[in-house]
Amino acid sequence: MIYLLEDTINGILMGSIYGLTALGLTVIFGVLKVINFAHGSLLMVGMYVTYWTVALSGVHPYLSLVVVVPVMFLFGYYLQDIVIKPIFKAEKEVREPITVIIVTTGVWYILDNLTLLIFGPQYRNLPDNPLKGKMLALGDMLISVPKLWGFVTTLMTAALLYWFLQTTRLGRAIRATSLDRQASSLMGISPYKVYNVAFGIGTATAGIAAVTLIPFYNVFPTVGVLFDIKGFIIVVLGGLGSIGGALLGGIIIGLIESVGPQFMAATWTEAIVYGLFLIFLFVKPAGLFGVKYDW
Amino acid sequence: MNILEIKELSKDFGGLRALNNLSLTIEQGQIFGLIGPNGAGKSTAFNCIAGVYAPSAGNIFFNGHRINGEKPWNLCRKGIARTFQIVKPFATKSVLYNVMVGSFAKTGNRSLAEEKAMEVLEYLQFVKQKDMRAGNLTIADRKRLEIARALATEPKLLLLDEVMAGLRPSEVDDMVEIIKKLRNRGITIFVIEHIMRAIMALSDFVVVLHFGQKIAEGTPRQVASDEKVIKAYLGDEYVVSGS
Amino acid sequence: MTHQTINKTACILAAIIALGLPLVIRSATYLHILVLLYFYAYLTTSWNLVGGFAGVLPLGHAAFVGIGAYASTVLFLQYGISPWIGMIVGGILATIVGILIGLPTFKMRGAYFALATIAFAEGIRVMIENIDRLGPFVLNGPRGLQIPPLNLGLGNFLFAGKEPYYYIILFMLAAVLMLTYSISRSKLGYYLNAGGEEPEAAMALGVNVARAKLIAMAISSFLTALAGTFYAQFTLYIHPKSVVSLDLSFEIAFIALIGGRGSIAGPVLGALLLRPVSDFSRIYFGDTLPGLHLVIFGVVLILVMIYQPRGLQEPLTRLYDQLVDRLLRRKAGEVQA
Repeated sequence: MIYLLEDTINGILMGSIYGLTALGLTVIFGVLKVINFAHGSLLMVGMYVTYWTVALSGVHPYLSLVVVVPVMFLFGYYLQDIVIKPIFKAEKEVREPITVIIVTTGVWYILDNLTLLIFGPQYRNLPDNPLKGKMLALGDMLISVPKLWGFVTTLMTAALLYWFLQTTRLGRAIRATSLDRQASSLMGISPYKVYNVAFGIGTATAGIAAVTLIPFYNVFPTVGVLFDIKGFIIVVLGGLGSIGGALLGGIIIGLIESVGPQFMAATWTEAIVYGLFLIFLFVKPAGLFGVKYDW
Repeated sequence: MNILEIKELSKDFGGLRALNNLSLTIEQGQIFGLIGPNGAGKSTAFNCIAGVYAPSAGNIFFNGHRINGEKPWNLCRKGIARTFQIVKPFATKSVLYNVMVGSFAKTGNRSLAEEKAMEVLEYLQFVKQKDMRAGNLTIADRKRLEIARALATEPKLLLLDEVMAGLRPSEVDDMVEIIKKLRNRGITIFVIEHIMRAIMALSDFVVVLHFGQKIAEGTPRQVASDEKVIKAYLGDEYVVSGS
Repeated sequence: MTHQTINKTACILAAIIALGLPLVIRSATYLHILVLLYFYAYLTTSWNLVGGFAGVLPLGHAAFVGIGAYASTVLFLQYGISPWIGMIVGGILATIVGILIGLPTFKMRGAYFALATIAFAEGIRVMIENIDRLGPFVLNGPRGLQIPPLNLGLGNFLFAGKEPYYYIILFMLAAVLMLTYSISRSKLGYYLNAGGEEPEAAMALGVNVARAKLIAMAISSFLTALAGTFYAQFTLYIHPKSVVSLDLSFEIAFIALIGGRGSIAGPVLGALLLRPVSDFSRIYFGDTLPGLHLVIFGVVLILVMIYQPRGLQEPLTRLYDQLVDRLLRRKAGEVQA
């Protein structure tokens, strides 16, 4: 019984981190109405940035946020500006341009393989990891400390994001553009600027997620692929565009992955995740909290 | 038998009642007009008939068969064709290609479909443009293409949704002639229109909608002098007393 | 002498060259490369029925390759059933799966369909990688299945040299191209185009858009599975990473997109242009710069999508047309003079 509780708690912690990784995806979708297929690769880039920041400066991984967040924001901002904006401009009429999906898939491939070329396929993890393997003892249960840090970071990031979107001027501009591109441009908000910022925010969030993952997850060029697909699953479960949905979706996945192996072979839990995804896709594509689009 | 019967049709969108208890009957071979100020619910009525929406209440009968909620492509097979207020040509394809999509509704054979499409184009005097890219047509020709496509499906009932919108007066006259020609082919025509002189020239019978309700019906002449209709379009101040 | 006759002559010429190549090229390596070239051209052309004609973005087509490969191989290794029959079985299986995927997803917008195809493909890959047996069938998980080169002959779809494989895949490619051409001129082709461009208008004209897409999906998955069997018989070794990988799915889609989806020549053109890039970068840079060809693909893909969204076949076909016109004018000029 105690193991069930321990697994549940660890599952929630890990799940929240999954939610954090999917947060950027859901924000980008909510604003640009685009599913960014390169999201996993952005996460991977974030992990490499974090890795090198820590390896070269020796700081605590969470301190590297100071470097990672701005770097990732700018990366995302200019990625959107240079690569994706031309497509938007070419397909102004189409509400959900498929070409953007194709282009982000291209970005995924470029990033993953360029990283492979530059850094090689080897797995890396932090040389001096202050959080490595640390466990917190709660009675008879062992809770993973890095995941606990991740959980707290997730909540703070989600809250920060929510506050930003609801209260700041830029945040409201973003929400306006996501509701109606043309109307808000008539109000003097440049939609492309908003898209750049939104993409930057989404990417920066991926960077934060990368920082939380690094203490206990290996870094290698294709690490993003797994999170990419999980990210889609989470975002469909929770509802595209919903911050709370991303967290909830992540927690569901986390729970399945940690509690599942108690009852069945670990590989079948993966199958269940895919199965759940497909069920939601068919039955409730808007997800748990998603806004209903005229899909 | 009446080709189209609408009995107490209502359509709600959330809390908004777009159509309220609409009833009307169209006889075979008529040109039937539906007019009313913007937002009166005319296109909603069309969309209910054409299968885009399912009615919230009431019934629609086509040649005696209830067609509530049937899919648009099935209705097309049954003989109901429609055009769109905002024209939707297959812009990257030729005029002939566009019309052939319509004529394929009644045959699986490509040369037959091509033949029928050419026949429709000739009937509408549209043959010269047959290889033109649909996206490059003028607005008047695009409207003509909409009708040609619908005609190729061999409809018994044709719903024309504001087919004159955006046309110059001379083009309007051409369009009126085309619609009269269609009637000569035995097609019953149900027209939504804003351009008064067109409706008055064409229709055998007119129904007026306002805020989703039928407020008047009759011959064009009767409807034009109906006090309620004038009020709906122009407001209270324009009702001339005694008319 | 018309445009049409010149096109027909060009096709016949290409066919003669393709048929005669193995007589001229004796190197097994180059034949191998050619076989794979046709293989990819076949895959992208089959993909095109859904990705181009139906107008959606399937990103998991490798799943059908895998289904075809595993179906025929398992039947052959365990029960001695000829791979030709296994091919058909795989095709039917793939068709069923394809329809199951398409039924719920074709009603949704593009991104959801793309996601669903990825999820299915990955789901199938994960399943095969993790189980050794599926009921009575031995799948051998990640270790894959090997076909021992015994009992060679047409009946067993096993040959010693590369030439028979060359002609088989060439024949398959030609067949699939002709099928695509005839579909494009048929009611299904018109309906797919219409449904892809203006679904509302198409539906009002009697087009059941979802059903047309489903038919395209069924045909495409069937054809793709056949290629899976071919691959198994050609390379004699299949494992999940080779036949059901996301890499393969994406490569097929990328090549078709760069070449030009929706056109008939596009996917083949894409394969003709990109496969050599992939092969040469693998041969010459495989050790020092792994994955270079994928970076190149990605960059080319993005550039093409921004500047030539209908694919490279558009400027190339225009060039071809101009050349033909000039040729015709010169001929006409000669006749008059």
